[in-house]
Amino acid sequence: MNRTRLVTLLALSAALLSMATASAASAKTTISMSGSTSVAPLAERLAGAFVKEPAYRGKVGFRIFQGGSDIGITDVSRGRVSIGNSSRDPKPADPSGIVFNKIARDAVCVVTNTDNPLPNLSQNQIQDIFSGRIRSWNKVPGARVSGTIDLVVRTPASGTQDAFQNIFMGEDLRVAGSATTKSTNGLQANAIKSNPNAIGYASFNFTKGLHDVPYAGNLCNLRNAKAGTYGGARNFFMVTRGKASGATKAFIRFIRRSSKAKRITQTNWVPLRG
Amino acid sequence: MAAPSWRPTSAADSLESWPLVDRIGYRLAWATGGALCLVAGAIVLYMAVRGLQYLDLAQFTQHPTSDIDQSKSGGFFDPLLGTVLLTILGTLFAAPLGVATAIWLSEYGRPAGLARLVESGVEVVAGTPTIVMAIFGLLVFQQQFFGFLSLTAEGDAVLGRSFLVAATMMSLIALPLVVGATREALQSIPGHVREASYALGKTKAATIRRVLLPAARPGIGTGAALGMGRIAGDTAIVLILLGGTLQLEEANSFPLIGDLKGTGSTLTSYVYINSPAGEGNAPEKAYAAAFVLLMIVIALNFSIDRIARGRRPAWSV
Amino acid sequence: MGAAGRALARAGARLPGSAGRPRAGGQDAGGQEAEGRWSDARVERLLGAVACLVLLLIAGMVIFVFAKAWPSFAGNGFFGWFDAKGDTARQMEDIFNSPANPDAYEYELSAWSLLWGTAVITLGAVVIGLAFSLFAAIFIVEFAPARVNRVLEPVVRLLAAVPSVVYGLIGILVLVPFVADHFISPERKESVAFVVQLSGGSVLVAVAILTVMITPIMIAIVVDALRAVPRSWMEGAAALGVNRWRVMWTIAVRTARPAIIAAAVLASARALGEAIMLSMVSGSTYFAPNPIDGLTFFLEPTRPLGAAIVDNSEGLSVEPFGQTLYAFAAVLLVSSVALSLGGYIAKRPLRKYGVRP
Repeated sequence: MNRTRLVTLLALSAALLSMATASAASAKTTISMSGSTSVAPLAERLAGAFVKEPAYRGKVGFRIFQGGSDIGITDVSRGRVSIGNSSRDPKPADPSGIVFNKIARDAVCVVTNTDNPLPNLSQNQIQDIFSGRIRSWNKVPGARVSGTIDLVVRTPASGTQDAFQNIFMGEDLRVAGSATTKSTNGLQANAIKSNPNAIGYASFNFTKGLHDVPYAGNLCNLRNAKAGTYGGARNFFMVTRGKASGATKAFIRFIRRSSKAKRITQTNWVPLRG
Repeated sequence: MAAPSWRPTSAADSLESWPLVDRIGYRLAWATGGALCLVAGAIVLYMAVRGLQYLDLAQFTQHPTSDIDQSKSGGFFDPLLGTVLLTILGTLFAAPLGVATAIWLSEYGRPAGLARLVESGVEVVAGTPTIVMAIFGLLVFQQQFFGFLSLTAEGDAVLGRSFLVAATMMSLIALPLVVGATREALQSIPGHVREASYALGKTKAATIRRVLLPAARPGIGTGAALGMGRIAGDTAIVLILLGGTLQLEEANSFPLIGDLKGTGSTLTSYVYINSPAGEGNAPEKAYAAAFVLLMIVIALNFSIDRIARGRRPAWSV
Repeated sequence: MGAAGRALARAGARLPGSAGRPRAGGQDAGGQEAEGRWSDARVERLLGAVACLVLLLIAGMVIFVFAKAWPSFAGNGFFGWFDAKGDTARQMEDIFNSPANPDAYEYELSAWSLLWGTAVITLGAVVIGLAFSLFAAIFIVEFAPARVNRVLEPVVRLLAAVPSVVYGLIGILVLVPFVADHFISPERKESVAFVVQLSGGSVLVAVAILTVMITPIMIAIVVDALRAVPRSWMEGAAALGVNRWRVMWTIAVRTARPAIIAAAVLASARALGEAIMLSMVSGSTYFAPNPIDGLTFFLEPTRPLGAAIVDNSEGLSVEPFGQTLYAFAAVLLVSSVALSLGGYIAKRPLRKYGVRP
C-alpha cells in the first residue's frame, strides 16, 4: 500500500511540475489574433507564409479567432490577444492606448443572388433599399425577381457593417430593423446565395457565387478599388496594444515589406503601395 | 414486467362495443406508437443515407483546414481526436467525484437534511443548461488563478479555453448520470452482504472498498458510458470553451500537457461550423461528420446494454 | 449478488492464513484496517466533503453568474428589463457599441421578445410532447404486443441519445427549406414585411424538433409510473366491464398524475436549456411572434434565450454586452433551478411506488 501511494504521489507531482514548468519554458511564441471576419482569410494566408520563413520556422505559432472588428479591438486593448484584426477605421469611442497598423485595402461590394443580376445601383437607391423605404423588388429598375426585398446585413461587431454604414448609408440613416443579421461574412454570403430575393454586402473575397452590383456605374473589383474609382474601398488594420514589438512587429513588417506577402494580398485584396 | 395482454374473450370485449371516444383513444395510442418508430427510423435512415453518400474514408485521416474550396478543406481527423480526448478526459474527471458522492449518499447520508440537499443539488446540476455551464466556465477559468489550465496571451490575460477547461465543465454533465447509476447499483446490493462483512469484522470503509464497489462496477460502468454519450453529444461547451481552432493547436511544445492546454475542435463543433449556421458552406462535410458522431453515440448506448446485461430495468434513458 | 459474494470471499479469505505475515499499511494480524488511518469517521467526512462540492458548485454558479449579470438588471430597473418597449436588436447594438469608459456603459434593454420566444417554444414543445408521450406510454404499457415493445424500447433510447447538433442539422438542412418552400408564400411574406422577414427558420420547426427531443424523457417516466399502478385496481375495473382503454385512462393515468407532472417539469427544464439546436432552426431574429397574425404566427422567427447566448458568444469580451448575456444566463439559471427542484420534489413521493428517480 505504501509503495502505491508513493508512486501515485510521485506521478502527481511530476505532472504538476511539468504543467508549471511548461508554462514558463516554452520555446515557441504564439501570436494570437481575433477580430474581423473579413481580415481573417488574409491573416490566415499571411500567417501560413510567415511560419514558412526560414528565420521564423518552428519559433512562431499563430492562433486566429474571429468575432468581428469590434471584438478584436476590445480583446487587444485588454491584452487578451496580441493582434486585433479590424476592417474599419478607428472611432473616437475606441479604447485608448491602441495602435492601428494598416496592412491592406479591401472593396466592399453590394451583392445580390445570381438570379437577380442588378445592372447598377446609385447611392440613393442603396439607401432607400437598406433603410426599408423601398420594400419590393418591383420598385427597383433592373430587378429580375419580384416580391419582398430580403435584407441580409451584419451584426454590430462587424467592421464591414461599419464600413457599409459610413460609405453607403451616411451618418444619419440606419438599416431597417427587420433585416436579418448575420455574424460573419461567410454566413451572410450563404444566406444571400440561398435566397433569390436577398440583398446584402460583403468583402470582395467572399463574393464568389454572388452577383456584385456595380455602384454608381463602377464595377466592384480590385482594379477599381486600387485606382480609387470604386467608392466602396476601405482599410484593413492589425491593431496592437501600444507599438508592436517582438514577433508581432516582425509579422507586421513581413506583411508590409515582403514581396511574398504582397503576392498573397494581391489575390483578393489591394496591397499597400511601396 | 409488462401488464398481461388481454385478448378479447367475448363479443362484448371487442372493439366495436366500445364508446366512440374510447375507440378514438385506442387508435391514437397505436398511432403514436407507430409515429415514434417512424420518426426514429426516418432520422436514422436519413442520416445514414446522407452520411454514407458524403463519407469518404480518407476523411478520417485528413486534417481540416479552413479553405473555401471544399476539395482542399480536408477531413475531420482533428475533430474526431478532439471528441475522443474530451470524452475520456471528462469522464475521468466525473467518475471519482460521482462515485464518491454516490457512496456518501447511499452508505452514509448523515445528516438527512444535508443528504437531501446534495440529492437535489445533483438534480439541479442535471437540469442546468449546458450553455450556462459554458459561460460560467469562461468566467471562472479566465481568472489569473487558473492560468495553468490554458494559454496565457502576451498581455497577461488568460485565454480560459482549452481541453482541460472544457473537460472540467463536461464532467458536470456526466456527474448526475454517474451518481444515479452508482447509487442504483449500490442500493441493489442486498443488505445481508453488508451485514456479513461487518460480522466478519470489517469496517464500513473496508466493506465499501472491497465488497460493495467491486460489486457495483457494472453499474459504475453503465453510468460512465451514459456520461460519455452525453459528453460526446454536447456542442455548447465545446463552442465556447474549446477555442474554436479547427486543428488541435498545442499551447506549448510539452508532449501531452501542451495539447491538453491547447485548443481544438470536436465532431460536434465541426458539424455546427460546417452547417449553414456556421462558417463553412459545407453541408456534405457536416453530414459525414454527423453520421460518424451518430454512430459513435449509438455504439456507446449499445455497449451500455452489454455492460448492464439485463440488470438495468427496461425503461430508462 | 454473485460478484458481491466473491468480493466478500476475497476480502474475508485473508483471515485464516494471515496470522504470521507482517502486513503493510498498519493492518494487524486479524487482517483488518487499523483505526486511525482510514477510520470510518474520516472516510465519512471525506466523502461528505466531496459530496458537498456539488452544492458549492451550484452556489458558485448562481453567485458568479448573478454578480456578473447584476449591472444589466440594475441599469434597467427590475421590471424595465422584462418589458417590451424598444427594438431589442437596436438596443443590443447600442449596448455593444458603448463607449470604452465604464461610466458611460449602455445597458438599456427590453428583453421581452427573447422571453416570449423562449416561453412560446418551450410551452409548445412540452404541451405537445406531453400529449404525445401520454398516448405512447399507454400504448407501450397496455396495447403493444411484446415484439413491438422489444423494438420500441431501443427506439426511445435512441431518440434520447441523438446529439442536439444532429437534430439541428436535419432541421436546418431539411425542415427549414421545406417550410420556406411550402408554407411561406410571397403574400404571407408581404403581410409582415414591415416588421420581420420570413425565411423558414420559425417557431414551427423549433417546436417540432424540440418535441421530438424531449418526448423520450417523458415517455420513460410515465411508462414507469403506469407500470407501478397496482394491477388489482385495473383488474377490478375490468371485472366491472370497463374496456381496456377506459381502464388505462381513468385509473392508471389518474394515479400516475404526479409522475406526469414530474415528467412535464423535467422536460421543461431540458427544453429551456436547449441552445444549439434552437440557434440553428428558430430564425435568429429578435422578434416576439405575434398571435394576432394568425397562422403566420407559427412561421415567424424568434430567438430564445439560450440561442441568443450562443449567437452572441463572441461578444462576451465587450464588458456591458457580456453582462447582458450573463443576464440572459441568469434568467435561464433561475428557471432551470426552479424547475429541477420542482421535479425533484414531485418525484420523491413516487419512489415508494418503485418509480425510479
